[in-house]
Amino acid sequence: MHRTPFRRTTAVASAAALTAVALLLAGCTASGGGAGSTPAGEPKEGGTLVYASGDAEPTCLDPHVGGNYPQALVATQYLEQLVTLDAEGNPVPWLADSWTVSDDGLTWDITVRSGVEFTDGTPLTSEAIAANVAHLQDPNTGSSTGYLAVQKIQSVEIVDDSTARLHLSSPDSALLESFSQPWLAIESPTALKRSKDENCASPVGTGPFVVSQWNRQQSIELDRNDAYASAPADATYTGPAHLEHIEWRFIPEAATRYAALASGEVDVIDNAQPDAIQQAEGNGSLVHLDAPRPGSSNRIELNSGQAPFDDEKVREAFIAAADVNPGIQSLFFGTAQRSYSPLSSVEPTAYSEPDLFDVDTDRANQLLDEAGWSARDSDGIRTKDGQRLTLRMPVSTNQSIPAEVSLFEQLQAAEKAVGFDIQLDQLDLSSWYGALAANDYELVSAPYTKVGPDVLRILYDSSGITPAPSGYFANHAKVDDPALDALLAQASATSDPAQRADLYQQAQRIVLEGYYILPLYDQQNHFLLRNDVEGVRTLAVSTPTFAEAWLDR
Amino acid sequence: MAGPLTPDPRPGTTATDAAPTEAASASVHLETAPPPSTARRALGVGRLLAVRLAGAVFVLWAVATITFLAVRAIPGDPAEAVLGGPGSQAGPDALAAARAQYGLDLPLGVQYLRYLGLLATGDLGTSFALHDDVAHVIAEQLPATLILTLVALVLAWVLALALAAWASRGGWGSRAVGGLLEITAAAVPHFWLGAVLIVLFSLTLGWLPAVSTSTPLGIVLPAVTLAIPLAGFLGQVMREQITDAVTSPFALSARARGEGSGGLFWRHALRHASLPAVTLTGWALGSLISGAVVVETLFARQGLGSTLYNAVRIRDVPVVIGVVLVVALVYVVVTILADLAERALDPRRRA
Repeated sequence: MHRTPFRRTTAVASAAALTAVALLLAGCTASGGGAGSTPAGEPKEGGTLVYASGDAEPTCLDPHVGGNYPQALVATQYLEQLVTLDAEGNPVPWLADSWTVSDDGLTWDITVRSGVEFTDGTPLTSEAIAANVAHLQDPNTGSSTGYLAVQKIQSVEIVDDSTARLHLSSPDSALLESFSQPWLAIESPTALKRSKDENCASPVGTGPFVVSQWNRQQSIELDRNDAYASAPADATYTGPAHLEHIEWRFIPEAATRYAALASGEVDVIDNAQPDAIQQAEGNGSLVHLDAPRPGSSNRIELNSGQAPFDDEKVREAFIAAADVNPGIQSLFFGTAQRSYSPLSSVEPTAYSEPDLFDVDTDRANQLLDEAGWSARDSDGIRTKDGQRLTLRMPVSTNQSIPAEVSLFEQLQAAEKAVGFDIQLDQLDLSSWYGALAANDYELVSAPYTKVGPDVLRILYDSSGITPAPSGYFANHAKVDDPALDALLAQASATSDPAQRADLYQQAQRIVLEGYYILPLYDQQNHFLLRNDVEGVRTLAVSTPTFAEAWLDR
Repeated sequence: MAGPLTPDPRPGTTATDAAPTEAASASVHLETAPPPSTARRALGVGRLLAVRLAGAVFVLWAVATITFLAVRAIPGDPAEAVLGGPGSQAGPDALAAARAQYGLDLPLGVQYLRYLGLLATGDLGTSFALHDDVAHVIAEQLPATLILTLVALVLAWVLALALAAWASRGGWGSRAVGGLLEITAAAVPHFWLGAVLIVLFSLTLGWLPAVSTSTPLGIVLPAVTLAIPLAGFLGQVMREQITDAVTSPFALSARARGEGSGGLFWRHALRHASLPAVTLTGWALGSLISGAVVVETLFARQGLGSTLYNAVRIRDVPVVIGVVLVVALVYVVVTILADLAERALDPRRRA
């Protein structure tokens, strides 16, 4: 067996160094209000932190069930994972102490930490890994995100009390990245034996807080876990939380959420909108925490599976005419950076090619002429054999914030100049999924969050073109390239980090140079905090943790 | 404002003595209508109730059916609701399991009949998303919404009466200003008004919480947001009735007997206007509950409104139908009560 050099001692040493980097980075990204806030001194104990989320209230507090972002946000406070990712995207120990992988990549031995107990008193043993994988794989659990991530695990063998052996059907270089996500958090095997409803209402983990009460449509109440002793290897503080209590509220309205924060009713908000961020930066009592999500960047995908984008020249013309930088600057008030990559800037293997996206309308016009779209109708829209050059773009108003919708409108105007007719159709989420399933689109912006570059396989492997029975498919650009499929499969089976990164960069080059996507910016994750909230940091999928937080009041 | 004062035909009579004159001129025949026998009255009420109950059952069935079809007509898969909504990137196996669990793989007609069968036994079913009895979900959320709507209703009446009293007692100018205020208030959208109140009272002045339901003060802004447009509407109707009343002959006679304008308003005009008020209150309660969807969402308040909003968003069919049915039921009950109250107040209806 090939042993990865990640024993706990070395891990802790490197984690300490990396934490310093992470703190530096946090210092860079936390802006506004910094001048007014007092430097963090000795942590103060106790107090209640009120968190207000703009995401929907989860329907189940166990992120194994379903598996979406609202669940990840709150579950980060009471559940923990086998590993977490350091500032450079490398897995570091958390509930797992160490791991080894066989040379063929098919057998993984994972050893869990000793001396850790779930909050219901169940000790953490290798049995927990087996029980959690089984729970994720059980169709009755109704897991989606977690289910997809453990698909290659064929069986879990209990070697001894602390070691579980995972047998895989094929190598999976993304396995540790998957295990760093809240959707694969480790829950008490005893608690998992309860009914689904019970487990949804009060999941049991090893986290710094426990769910004490869930008042539907109002709040989730979280109490401190006084026996907490399982901080991840990159933590700066490892004892029980300083905060005594967290009140987790749901405030869907962005303006209300900001008002509640500014007036001091709540301490932290998520989904801060560009205008609120700008206001907050002029407000001495608020701090901005920018934590872009990992996985894919926010991008517009060009449906290459049908006319007119089945013609690469038309795709290139669209990209050449796409003038989005001024819009991003003006509409997002400097809170979003332009991306030129399929991957989020927090992914270490992200590959950018800015030159491909230089605006050149002459080139766009020339390409469209060459592609046969040379005639124009009275509206100035190009035509070919009597067909207008129309692009349908369903926009999900649940996912695209108003600033983003305005950006699409600006793009619509820029593309009209060269003869594209973009029809924006604002839809609720269900109708939007319906339009995608019916293939009624030429352009679409669809977010996807997953830790690690393996998200490329979900988004651009040709197997993602065929819709599942639910109608859901992730390859919206309909990229169908055997060379790309081969690269992605090879990358998934490669455990050598350098080789893996190289393969993923080649894959990204194919996506970019094929003009399949127009990258816009990172998936936005902006938090605003009262400036007396100290010690907040974000974990693998950019969810905030309050394990080290305290209130300076 | 009123016409030239005419001398009272019967000097020395009290306000109550003047009732026949007042009733005759206002065509409210309090004394002249023959008192109906108790038996006839009971029969009338009984028949009314029977007709109303049959109607109510029909209305509830129609509401359940239309809602069932409407929610199903939204594109997408209700099985996603079981897995946490469309954002959960659900896999096909998970969706298939969810469909089987909730009978969503059955033909639509069978699902409808099964659902009606459950409703007939008073069972509202199980929420796809909340994994809980719909009746329990509603029982949990209903009190918060009822408190909000009742506070808003009382507030709306107080505002409407205050405005009407002020406007009807002043001259032409104050009536015009009052009318303008009422029209503006009635036309203001809840969403915009709520946002303005939050910015003013929570963000700028810091007097009232924007969201907190943990303190009693938290109800003030949501209730005011609901009450202002309703007060505008009620005020318009009330003012018409009051103006009508204070300029009619019985008012002139009362005035001539030395009744001040305050007394005239409270003792005579209001009584005259109370009939449409009862009908309006029934209507207002219904409109308040629908307004609660917006206000509860805006102020992040617990209640049926935000429950409905969330359920529609993720296509949680049983909860949507359950909430809509309860709102319809409240509407029907209030209408019946208003009808009975009108009969009690207005002798003409009893004949």
